[in-house]
Amino acid sequence: MEKVTIPILKSGDNLITSPQIALHDKLAVQFKTDILQKIIETKAKGLVLDVSAIDVVDSFLVRQIGEIATAANIMGAKVVVVGLQPTVAMTLVEMGFSLRGIHTARDLEKGFEILQKIGRR
Amino acid sequence: MLEENTQESIIEATALVEEETQELTRELSTLLEHNASEVRSQWIKEMQGQGLLAALSPREIEEQSKAIYDACLLCLKTGSYEAAKKYAASMARKAVLPTMTVDQIIAGLLILRDVYGRFIFEWYQKNPIKWRNVNSIYEPVARKILNIVASAFVSERESVIKQQQEAVKLSTPLVGAWDGIVMAPLIGIFDSARAKQFTETVLEHISRTKTEVIVIDISGIAAIDTKAASHILRTIQATKLMGSDVAITGIRPDVAATLVTLGVDLSGIVTRSTLREGLEYAYGKLGLKVVKT
Repeated sequence: MEKVTIPILKSGDNLITSPQIALHDKLAVQFKTDILQKIIETKAKGLVLDVSAIDVVDSFLVRQIGEIATAANIMGAKVVVVGLQPTVAMTLVEMGFSLRGIHTARDLEKGFEILQKIGRR
Repeated sequence: MLEENTQESIIEATALVEEETQELTRELSTLLEHNASEVRSQWIKEMQGQGLLAALSPREIEEQSKAIYDACLLCLKTGSYEAAKKYAASMARKAVLPTMTVDQIIAGLLILRDVYGRFIFEWYQKNPIKWRNVNSIYEPVARKILNIVASAFVSERESVIKQQQEAVKLSTPLVGAWDGIVMAPLIGIFDSARAKQFTETVLEHISRTKTEVIVIDISGIAAIDTKAASHILRTIQATKLMGSDVAITGIRPDVAATLVTLGVDLSGIVTRSTLREGLEYAYGKLGLKVVKT
């Protein structure tokens, strides 16, 4: 089977990534590793994770997203999750997803605004 | 001897063939048609005796009793209950007999059933076997008619309940206060169904429009319990996840006391005493300011 990777783009000090396909367990773990690797390589200060294309989440994926944020934070990159779908937002709340260390924004643009604001502090 | 007789009549009754049934049905309906005025006046008399028709004018009594009598007769004659169903539905909608209550109508129909039954008995009492056979035709029709009427009332009630549930949906309006600012006044009782619907409406609205701040005013909520509080908190958390800011306003003293007693954690959530201050906060978030010109 061909190996699928999710592109992680660099823009200034920030990374942008937007998974457009369903993140099954294996891919989610791979995705997490890729992001953390990329943060090291690029010395990025921020990461915008656009999840607008994801309309179903399970507990595993929720945990992976949480881990991405926590790990990125430790490595000095602020994480902004943008474009959460209503159903996904509800699921996250039901699962008791903690907002600590994670910023959320409506769309990519707002996400960058937040990163800039944090960076200036 | 008596036992044997009964046995025989049962066999006869069950052995009633199709043609005989049709023949008897015709006979019975002709009989009830010819004696309509007699049976009907007996029916009205008995209903009046029980005070069921007190709220009706003589003309109404005349017209409606005739309509019901004819509808029942039509069911017997044709075996088609469409007319009865229609009439029952209009009764349930209060289009006809608006002054009569459900139990009055049902009681009236039960009396009609008894009047018919007694009339049939008196007519056929010389011939018990025929009486039995006629009864086996008449009784299912009477049962079915009563069933139709009762169902009509139940389904009418159900549709009213449904309409009210729809109305509840509309009772959670989202009011745009400014570009990017939405007010959500909560009024009445905030139960699970309502909370779920509220959360969905709010989240859908946020994802559809560019809502930056949402001000939830809970001054109109009758009472708050742990469940309602946790529903509101969840809505707020989900809203924040979607990147909008939330402020709660209009927490009444008793509600505030309840929240504290319940141990609801409102830390990290913006609360303001009045809607005015909530809006002020929202404007501030967008860098707007209300000034007097």
